[in-house]
Amino acid sequence: MFRTTFPVAALALSTTLLSSLPVAAETFRWAGTTDPQTMDPHAVNAAPVLSFLNNVYEGLVRRDPEMGVEPSLATSWEALPDGAGWRFTLREGVTFHDGSEFNADDVIFSYERAVSEASDVRSWFASVTEVVRVDDFTVDFVTTAPNPLFPGSIANFMILDSGWAAENGADLPARDAENHATRNANGTGPFMLAARNPGIETRLVPNENWWDTAGHNVTEAIFTPIGNPATGLAALLSGEIDFISPIPLQDAEQVEERDGFEVLAGLETRVIMLGFGHDHDSLLYSEETTGANPFHDPRVRRAVAQAIDVETIDRVIMRGAAEPASQLVPAGLSGYSDDHADRPDYDPDAARALLDEAGYGDGFSFGLMCPNDRYINDEAVCRAVASMLARIGVEANVNAMPVRGYWDELRADNFDMYLLGWSPGTFDAEHPIRFLAHTPTERLGTWNFGGYSNQRIDALLAPIQSEVDPAARQAMLDEVAGILQEDVAYVPLYTQPLIWAMQENVDVVQRPDDFFMLRWVTVN
Amino acid sequence: MVAFAVKRLIQSVFVMLAVAFLAFSLFAFVGDPIAQMTGVETSLEDQDRLREDLGLNDPFVVQFTRFTGDMLRGEFGYSFRTREPIGAMILSRLPATLELGTVALLISLIVGIPAGIYTALRPRGVISQSLLIGTLIGVSIPTFVIGILLIFLFGVQLGWLPTYGRGGTVEIGWWRSSLFTAQGWRSLILPAITLGLFQLTLTMRLVRAQMMEVMRTDHIRFAIARGVPWRSIRYRHALPNTMIPVITIIGLQFGGVIAFSIVTESVFQWPGMGLLFLESIRFVDIPVMSVYLVVIAFFFVVINLAVDLLYVAIDPRLRVKESF
Repeated sequence: MFRTTFPVAALALSTTLLSSLPVAAETFRWAGTTDPQTMDPHAVNAAPVLSFLNNVYEGLVRRDPEMGVEPSLATSWEALPDGAGWRFTLREGVTFHDGSEFNADDVIFSYERAVSEASDVRSWFASVTEVVRVDDFTVDFVTTAPNPLFPGSIANFMILDSGWAAENGADLPARDAENHATRNANGTGPFMLAARNPGIETRLVPNENWWDTAGHNVTEAIFTPIGNPATGLAALLSGEIDFISPIPLQDAEQVEERDGFEVLAGLETRVIMLGFGHDHDSLLYSEETTGANPFHDPRVRRAVAQAIDVETIDRVIMRGAAEPASQLVPAGLSGYSDDHADRPDYDPDAARALLDEAGYGDGFSFGLMCPNDRYINDEAVCRAVASMLARIGVEANVNAMPVRGYWDELRADNFDMYLLGWSPGTFDAEHPIRFLAHTPTERLGTWNFGGYSNQRIDALLAPIQSEVDPAARQAMLDEVAGILQEDVAYVPLYTQPLIWAMQENVDVVQRPDDFFMLRWVTVN
Repeated sequence: MVAFAVKRLIQSVFVMLAVAFLAFSLFAFVGDPIAQMTGVETSLEDQDRLREDLGLNDPFVVQFTRFTGDMLRGEFGYSFRTREPIGAMILSRLPATLELGTVALLISLIVGIPAGIYTALRPRGVISQSLLIGTLIGVSIPTFVIGILLIFLFGVQLGWLPTYGRGGTVEIGWWRSSLFTAQGWRSLILPAITLGLFQLTLTMRLVRAQMMEVMRTDHIRFAIARGVPWRSIRYRHALPNTMIPVITIIGLQFGGVIAFSIVTESVFQWPGMGLLFLESIRFVDIPVMSVYLVVIAFFFVVINLAVDLLYVAIDPRLRVKESF
């Protein structure tokens, strides 16, 4: 079925060519499942858009391959006295792709654009009251409270040229109808937008005047969205594309074994977990239990945690590529609690005992909501969870659905238990506390579908956000991690893997946020 | 004839309204567009404001009336997802789908009609039997499997043809065509075969059945008795008589080819309307889905009309009777 001899010959040929020629730069073709729906960096706060545009636009700071924060359009930054905010010193001599100069006005313009009502990235500046221009190359971000993580939290805040935006009527992000910035871009980044054909193909060319030293050798980069995984795999194997992300876990082995291809499997920062309907008075999808919600009892929640064999799920469904998780953030992330690194042991007997104690010794049935196209093998994981729970006498009725309707169902409280994956946008443990653990309000706990509520956690969130002393901050994060574990507010299952596949002659850097940075690509 | 055409076109407006209504009432179950349009960090109040701005809080009747009103004025609105004007979006994807559909249909006719005649004339021949068995496989394997098999054979293993996309396009005005370059044809051939295979089978079997039936009719028997040469009997007397039902079915199938190119377009990442529709479903882009369905309904209506008119042109008997 598969061509095996030809790539070997081609590879041998290219090696002989390479030995006699200097490394030639190349057109680089890559594919992903989703097209960035806009070229406007403030219009949609979604990974496909931000990942793509980070090649074209730049922020004041950027993240290195290990997710560390490093200077970009700002050369340095320091906290203002009394925690009043942050002062950024801007890089001089930077030009936008159209040649105009970058300075403080562009930062202030971009800030105003990003906090406008039409913007989808306003939440990044929730703590900012104003941005002050100190001089041409110094700006102050004034915040309501000290915010030690602020520089890292705006790594995806991309700077537009104020003059370009004004000339082209792109002062605000497009809300209803598209505007000039929807299909055109004028950033300061390592690549320039050469052609944009939405949903079909987007071409980038290197920015010769980039302020930083280019680490890549790409002369042209062409992105094609390929929605069908089998088509994407065929395109990679036939050599029509150099790189694809992601590929299905079940295809990774096949690609790995073939000559001339390479699979890069790392861990994403996304933790897959189970959530409960904490504030539901009754189970909705139970055949026999009405008027009561067994998940109110922490012992029942603990029984669920102990009945699930995450190691087996990892080995069988995730092919060993995932890593069991104990908290809402993966091990090693900023703010991860080392004191709470152990997840409950897999112990069906203990789980049965806990159920007995809680008065559900005969088990009960309930509904488990699950997406079927959002996370890697999500439905299979839910089915495995259901069969493991069946062993302690609890019957989970799995209801799997496409993600396009999933969040709606969860917001409408149509679940007893649900599957959720969370990747902290700020790469810090504060993020899931803000969105998943805080009692739901208009702005906080917005993804806490089950309505988990703990006063101590609510009280700790603000101090965590403003604590400047790392040790004191970590102590509070540890406390929250402890409460969440003690309460079994969620059952963290595992950290999801990240599977990239490419031709062997391509070198890339896999960053845990799944952003694909062309500036680290070399084609040999 | 003109009155007939006008009458049918007026009817078609109602057909499209009905399609729009059905589509619109189904979209309530597709999912929440707002969750697809905003990031995870967007506050609920911002989401609610967006929902209000887009008119998603309005009652169904208001939304539907606004949509049909805009359509009648020729305003197709903007995509929720990309904010592009939908008219331009559909128009830019239309050539890809029409070219794919037309080439697929041509393949099915060029191969299907001769194969149908051959299998009718030599029903017991080895070639006939293997053709019939072969087409049975063509009907029973789902389109996407055929597509993937072709991709892996010709794209990956042999490396002869591109595995995805629409290369080598030339722009003629707004029409982006892949019919004028070798590269364009190379990327067109696999999707066209995949899409045309079902039609091919259908055409072949239809021609075969019709031909066999016609060969048994009195006027053919009489011709044989008169000693008319076989060649003339088969191609001058029998074949035209088999073509009337064939044209009807094939004409009607063309609408199906356009509408069901969705699967083929997805397997080959062929940038046509079907792929656009699939993407729109994935991201709950309700305006694009609605316009697509109405456009497809329009195609069906126009094709049916064309078939009816063609009927009259081919069959002289229908010209006499005012049977419409």
